[in-house]
Amino acid sequence: MTPRDLPVVSVVFDAGADDRVFDSLLLVGPLIIALIVALGRSLVTEVVAIAYIAMFVGYTLYQWVRT
Amino acid sequence: MNGTVATVGRDLGRILEALGGLMLISLVVPIVWGEYFLLPALLVSALVPLAIGRLLYRRFKDAEAPGRFHGMIVAALGWFSVGVFGSLPFLLIAWSVQLGVPGVATPAGTATLAAFTDPLNAVFESMSGFTGTGLTMTDNEEVLPRTLQWWRTFTEWVGGVGVIVLTTAILSRPGSGSLTLYESEARSEKIHPSIVSTVRTIWWIFILFTFISILILWLAGMPIWGAINHAMTGLATGGFSITDNSIATYDSVAIDFALVPVMLLGSIAFPVHYLILQGDLRNLYADLQTRWVFGYMGIGSALLWAFLYLAGPYETPFAALRYGLFQFVSAATCTGFQTAVDATNVALGGWPSYAQLTVAFAMFVGGAAGSTAGGIKLIRGLTLVKGIRHQIADVFYPESAVRRLEINGRRLNEEEASREFMEAAIIVVLWITFLVVGTFLLLLTLPSGEYSVANVLFEVASAQGNVGLSAGITGPDSLPTLGKIAFLFHMWIGRLEIIPVLVMLRTVFKRGGLYR
Repeated sequence: MTPRDLPVVSVVFDAGADDRVFDSLLLVGPLIIALIVALGRSLVTEVVAIAYIAMFVGYTLYQWVRT
Repeated sequence: MNGTVATVGRDLGRILEALGGLMLISLVVPIVWGEYFLLPALLVSALVPLAIGRLLYRRFKDAEAPGRFHGMIVAALGWFSVGVFGSLPFLLIAWSVQLGVPGVATPAGTATLAAFTDPLNAVFESMSGFTGTGLTMTDNEEVLPRTLQWWRTFTEWVGGVGVIVLTTAILSRPGSGSLTLYESEARSEKIHPSIVSTVRTIWWIFILFTFISILILWLAGMPIWGAINHAMTGLATGGFSITDNSIATYDSVAIDFALVPVMLLGSIAFPVHYLILQGDLRNLYADLQTRWVFGYMGIGSALLWAFLYLAGPYETPFAALRYGLFQFVSAATCTGFQTAVDATNVALGGWPSYAQLTVAFAMFVGGAAGSTAGGIKLIRGLTLVKGIRHQIADVFYPESAVRRLEINGRRLNEEEASREFMEAAIIVVLWITFLVVGTFLLLLTLPSGEYSVANVLFEVASAQGNVGLSAGITGPDSLPTLGKIAFLFHMWIGRLEIIPVLVMLRTVFKRGGLYR
């Protein structure tokens, strides 16, 4: 069994962006928000949030450079 | 006739089922926040559209596939029905608190919540949400139960996706900007060839942008509940807030500036977002509408800044920039978030008339077609300007000259140009006609001398442009009943770009035998 076989993961991979990075961001997004709700504002949650946005921006720019 | 009723009935049934499903999903919110007294009301609210929708679907499930005519009627009737049935949580929750729920501790009611015991106020709030308008019947959103704060946000978010789907995949037609804009050589006609995959693509982009927006606002200093709600309503360019004074409540420069890109994301056509996410960043400047989103917002904000600083209420250039930029972008993207309120600085209604009219003009034009923004849309404005210039220049050419109108890299022949120009002109003329009629109507119903013509025009433009900025007229007590009913109509036609509503009304009246 691979992570792709898990119920929510399979739905996102089947109906999502057809792109591994964007699909992963779609899956991780709610988890980060849940983490922020649970832990509140801290250095860890802020770094995680910044990393998420940086990943999105960085990957879009990477796509641009690649095409 | 029967075929049409069956097709429309079947699709309407599916829409109502989906609405019931959204309410069922929302049951998580009262459970998480411990608002158990709201559960029965929300459950009943969900079951009503679910049952009616199921009934309609089962009755007409073998109906023919919808054509464009059906699509328009389903869109118009669907939006209206969703507005009406979406009011049930407001109405039933308000009455539950008013009457008390047996066996469950119910908190004391508030005047804000009590306003929703009036069905008209509840329908107004729901319609305002699903059309992404943001005008509200609440006095103080902060005292609303979290469940209703969420439901208001959710209506705008779902309505935002709905309108992108509607304009990009269902009602694409010449002059609408969503069909023709992507027909040029470099682009495919729609995001994807089929409606299903188009809808799927819009969803994942919208959800991904929502997560990004939530995190941006949270990093800017907004509490997480506020960030979730304002990111959803900001991206959907709806403008509902969970605080009493909209974004002004936070009185934070960082939050004000963080919301600007969120609103801009919502006002750019989603097919363009798709291309950008595929790495085609050229569309940021190569796409006519996107280029103008930035150009027009930049010029408009600079103009408003000049009005507010040189002749207006703000004493420092930065204060004028902060409020001018935010309010122009909020208006032009048709979001309706407000930072200019009396509690922190000078309310919009207190700005000089020319500054108010600049904001009203922004609401009139709106954002890009294929986005969540309202107004007449940039592509129509640009088509009109280019078309008029083309017509005037025609006089200087010999009759035998073959001329083409160029819009966004497409070279249109006489027939295509005429069709595009005509469609854009019809929408703009209808838009202005309804705006003028609505302004007259509101002037007649409001107490004389209380509001200026600029205030009234601003408010009607805000409702019809699905913006939600208020000069202080809209409220449960301040807006007369006739005004509320008129605003329901303005919000409805504004969201559907007028034509589908007129097609539906004509069909109902004609086939109902009300006129021949």
